[in-house]
Amino acid sequence: MLVKINSIAVLGVDVVRVTVEVNIASRGFPSFDIVGLPNKSIAESKERIKTAIQNSGIEFPSSKKITVNLAPAGMPKEGTFYDLAIATGIVCASKGIKPPEDSMFFGELSLDGSLRHTKGAFLAALYLEDIGLRSIFLPLNSANEAAVFTGINVYGLSTMGELVSHITGKMQLAPYKNAAIDTRSKHVSTQDSEVVGQEYAKRALEIAAAGGHNVLLIGSPGVGKTMLARMFSGMLAPLTQQESHEVTKIYSVTGKIPPGGSLITARPFRAPHHTVSYAGFIGGGNPIRPGEISLAHRGVLFMDEFTEFHKDIIEALRQPMEEGKVTITRSSMSVELPCRFLLLAACNPCPCGYLWHHKNKCKCSVPDVERYRKKLSGPILDRIDIVCRMRDFELKSPDQNVLSSHDSHGNNSEIKMVIDRIYAAHKIQEKRFDGVGTVLNSEMTNMQVGLHANLSVEAKVLLNRAVESYGLSARSYFKIVKVARTIADLGGAGDIEPPHIAEALQYKTSTL
Amino acid sequence: MFDTVKYKTRKMEPGDSFPESLYPEILRGINSFPKVLFYKGDIVTGLFDNCVAVVGSRNMTMYGRTVTRNLVSALCAGGITVVSGFMYGIDATAHASCVEFGGKTVAVMPCGIEMIHPPRQKDLYMDILQNGGLVLSEYDEEFPPCVWTYPRRNRIVAGLCKAVLVVEAGEDSGSLITAGFARKYGRRVMAVPGPVTSLVSAGTLKLIKEGADMVCSAEDLMRLLGHGKGQVIGEHFVETIENNLNKLSTKIISVLGKEPLDISMLSKILEIDIPLLSVEMTNLSLAGVICEREGMYYVS
Repeated sequence: MLVKINSIAVLGVDVVRVTVEVNIASRGFPSFDIVGLPNKSIAESKERIKTAIQNSGIEFPSSKKITVNLAPAGMPKEGTFYDLAIATGIVCASKGIKPPEDSMFFGELSLDGSLRHTKGAFLAALYLEDIGLRSIFLPLNSANEAAVFTGINVYGLSTMGELVSHITGKMQLAPYKNAAIDTRSKHVSTQDSEVVGQEYAKRALEIAAAGGHNVLLIGSPGVGKTMLARMFSGMLAPLTQQESHEVTKIYSVTGKIPPGGSLITARPFRAPHHTVSYAGFIGGGNPIRPGEISLAHRGVLFMDEFTEFHKDIIEALRQPMEEGKVTITRSSMSVELPCRFLLLAACNPCPCGYLWHHKNKCKCSVPDVERYRKKLSGPILDRIDIVCRMRDFELKSPDQNVLSSHDSHGNNSEIKMVIDRIYAAHKIQEKRFDGVGTVLNSEMTNMQVGLHANLSVEAKVLLNRAVESYGLSARSYFKIVKVARTIADLGGAGDIEPPHIAEALQYKTSTL
Repeated sequence: MFDTVKYKTRKMEPGDSFPESLYPEILRGINSFPKVLFYKGDIVTGLFDNCVAVVGSRNMTMYGRTVTRNLVSALCAGGITVVSGFMYGIDATAHASCVEFGGKTVAVMPCGIEMIHPPRQKDLYMDILQNGGLVLSEYDEEFPPCVWTYPRRNRIVAGLCKAVLVVEAGEDSGSLITAGFARKYGRRVMAVPGPVTSLVSAGTLKLIKEGADMVCSAEDLMRLLGHGKGQVIGEHFVETIENNLNKLSTKIISVLGKEPLDISMLSKILEIDIPLLSVEMTNLSLAGVICEREGMYYVS
């Protein structure tokens, strides 16, 4: 008998419909073959499926010729989630039952017949209706991911046996109800806010978080760059529902959602080490998987020791940062992955790191420093709106109020105030860009800057004066207006006034 | 190829006699004078009559830069030729200030006359030549700079001048070699003091301890050179602005006047929030009262 089961194939973060055709023939040499360009993990599924069916107390048709075809057969397929579809097909075909209509079967089998948490469940549920299906059967541990969507039937299974009972009508499964989505956003812990001093950098990060501006922190080792970055992740507004779906999609595909997990609501914070490979960073591999830049989608990509990253990797950032997506093309396929992230880069002022240090002697010659800085300059600097130089401070006497100005309690409430300001600025931007497609000030096109920036006459005069005396380029001009717009939003001001421009000029990137 | 070709290379030798010898008389006085000198640019009458070398560290600080500009402006006003070694840092600042203030300057290269070293100072090189300055070397063609050509160059710098002024120098720096030659040739050695904590003032302080003349102002410098009081160009406009400053600005300037600071420290000391302080710092920078370099603020 021939049975057809619905399934999907994952391409990047998109899916295409796949039909799993199972034929059990009484004639022919007993065999079990899977065709349709399965990869190793699918080919190996034969053993899992056979054992799981047997261990579920169901007879496996070993004496028959079993042929499984994954159609369309010309597209390479990967993933352990075909286990359930193939197993269901075999059971239905051997028992002569018609499988449920409009349903997808998705999940990896364990040898004992139970179902394991499988990556990609969110994606399968998201596109279920698009490919014309209404129900999905998947592992119980993954059901919470899929049950985010209303209008589809989600059936969580813990064993293969449950599914067979359901199909044969012995026992009716109840649709899975979504457990309350964890909407707690990450809050800054006291420990994270213990960065001493560096008020200038903190303000820079506040502006960056509010307007989504890319930041470069430059400072000697130990001034608190990494700690500030950690604090930064807690300063960001939670994801909107739309954004949350986009992020969850990527995390589901890469298997980064824990069993029982659901929507991701906190903004991602990715901090790849500088030895990261090209494919690991941009995305790639076979099949194509999202890289760090996509995992940082709608969140923060923190590149510590920015200058230590391979030149190719830094250069490769250009197009994704501009477009918010990256297209990865291989001979067999081309995949588009989203990657709209905020770049938070940190580096030393010179190769040895101690150029600005009050005590440690810098061992670098002037050309050394220039060569080092050259790595930062150029196209990538064009995409950074805020440069912040962090000096270490000298503790001159115990009563100097560098350490004591904020006790940890006071500091915490200060952080809360900052976060409130950031959220308020987000609200203002939401209103401004309603229906425009832009979300944050940093994403404004030059034309939008003209439309939405609202520069006062005095601000324009000041900006023109700055352009002249600092010799700023047109690009710098727009960057400063964008940053000034965010500063004005943080202060709740309608128009950009001279003080906003003056403050924005403090973070200009042109003098690196 | 370099644009230097545009400027014809000529040479002078100590034995020249027709129609008159261009070879600087003062240089002939040292025991290891170069047997030939290549040069680009024009030797105006009296160029070598009154030369002072302004040399110093490659790792110039903002302090070194300010002092160099200030003192070079006085030298230019006094009609004194500024000689230096064209290295980046104090040397380059001395040349550049001299060009800016319309003075005469001589750059002595550590490499062949057809080369610009360091290459990225090409603009300065052209500026010197276009403004009637002179580029000198005892090596021809594109002889590369070597470890040993630098001290050889320094002997010419010292030999050309009646006095050597060291603005900033590290403990084992080339500037001290120049000062050593100057002393050997009987030239006056002058040094600018700096903070005892500064690495690039260690050398100048050592010179002062060893008996070099201390130069704390343009007045000191010109008095030591026998030029009376001397005058400084371009110091006036700051004062007029200062009269119009508000209270906060005055506070900022008085704090920065004591020591350069970054904005975070300044905010701690003045107890003013960063946003407000940032606005003030930008306004003061645009007014030219303070300047920022690599995150540190200095009074101009």
